[in-house]
Amino acid sequence: MVTENTEPRLAAVVRHLFPAFAGLPLGPLLTLSLRSLAGRQPRLFDRLGEHRTACYFIDPIDLAFAFAVVPDGERSIVRVVRKNEAAASSVLIRGPILTLLSVLDGTLDGDALFFSRIISISGRTEAVLALRNTIEDAELRPADLLGLRGALARLADTGILGALSVMRQMADRNSRRKAPEA
Amino acid sequence: MTSGRMELVCPAGTPATLRAAVQAGADAVYCGFRDETNARNFPGLNFSAAELAEGVRYAHDHGSKVMVAINTFARVNDVDLWKKAADTAAECGANAIIAADIAVLDHVAKNHGPTRLHLSVQAAAATPEAIGFYASRFGVRRVVLPRVLSVQEITALNRLIDVETEAFVFGGLCVMIEGRCYLSSYATGKSPNLNGVCSPPEMVTYDDEANSTVARLSGFTIDRYEPGEPVGYPTLCKGRFTASGKTSYLFEDPVSLNAGGMIAGLKAAGVTALKIEGRQRGRGYVTEVVRAFRKAVDAVEQGGDAIEIDRILAGQSEGARQTAGAYNKKWR
Repeated sequence: MVTENTEPRLAAVVRHLFPAFAGLPLGPLLTLSLRSLAGRQPRLFDRLGEHRTACYFIDPIDLAFAFAVVPDGERSIVRVVRKNEAAASSVLIRGPILTLLSVLDGTLDGDALFFSRIISISGRTEAVLALRNTIEDAELRPADLLGLRGALARLADTGILGALSVMRQMADRNSRRKAPEA
Repeated sequence: MTSGRMELVCPAGTPATLRAAVQAGADAVYCGFRDETNARNFPGLNFSAAELAEGVRYAHDHGSKVMVAINTFARVNDVDLWKKAADTAAECGANAIIAADIAVLDHVAKNHGPTRLHLSVQAAAATPEAIGFYASRFGVRRVVLPRVLSVQEITALNRLIDVETEAFVFGGLCVMIEGRCYLSSYATGKSPNLNGVCSPPEMVTYDDEANSTVARLSGFTIDRYEPGEPVGYPTLCKGRFTASGKTSYLFEDPVSLNAGGMIAGLKAAGVTALKIEGRQRGRGYVTEVVRAFRKAVDAVEQGGDAIEIDRILAGQSEGARQTAGAYNKKWR
């Protein structure tokens, strides 16, 4: 069975808010965030085993830049890179940014998205599987990545997840309008 | 016919999934260690000793049991890893150890009396004689039935044995008689029965070629997908091959087991526990399937009819074709 991929993508106006240079500060911020998370939850990264030193090239297809991530606990590195810099990576994961974020927060099932080809994966399958299982077990909330606790954490989770949900709904509506008649 | 309430046994590949299964209504959860002692030895999956201890505490606090699968076959002169896994499971307070290898069964029977022994499906015990041997020799209390028996055969079997039986009701199917697959070993040198991995991921590749995606295992082409066509994880038994000029699923169609409609029949056949396959699946999937089967089992226990059970389980399709498997075999 061949299916039409109508997975929600960022609206053009949102895409324009994130030109290539806008992503640059995200590298150091996400690096700090991952290292801080590893400091608080070191066991989380154990699940990656030998694959914690693998380089994961994450390419949100609706953004102008990509991320090269080495999830090595307190030595983690996140770099914002150009789309054509995937060659040196162990794994390439490609998909709409909202979908990739939904995998991270557990809203969507990564396996189902891969099998239905909404996200694509190439490279070392074992490293992908290790990352997928690590994310599955981590039950990450936005506050975990931001290092927040208590009421502030609840506020951040509600706000960020709510905003993501609204963006997904907007993108869904946008995709449905563009989808061909069945 | 089983006198008590049927037990729902659910998969957990990670601690988060264990908690999800318990919250969704699992009577028992089965899981394994992060090594080759269990038949789902995939990267990033499974439990450390500390995680198992925590998982057991969580499950017990919520009224659920934990069963630990130590169900691969030990290597010659290298049984210590399997014995140590059994010791750790018992120390963590697991309710049962699921094993197939006689050396592991013997070790548990001799050293961990209070821990129940369940015979893994990997042992492929499907006759009263085989089951009787495991029960009398090692004190096995429950047998996980191979997925090759019809409901009628299970009924007959249960009349002749005095141990509990557990039957798979949902999830992936294996074409070979349980514990006897050599396809993965042939292609990769690793097998589900010895190393805990069928199609080890380090030997799996997906390559984009000539307007199609090619899934390979250890260099063998297992399937080729058109753009937009859903892909699958390449296992030799479910590959599409060309033979005599015809391309088809040569060994087995990629269908999943769904015996939800047979819960009442399995209860009448004397089955004690219903098992959901899928320790490699995520917590979202496990939550959804366990919740649906919880409702279905409860409905059966309360005398619900087949239409009601079908309605409860209608959404559980996994997006793939389904079969009732051998439970409903019509060719004998």
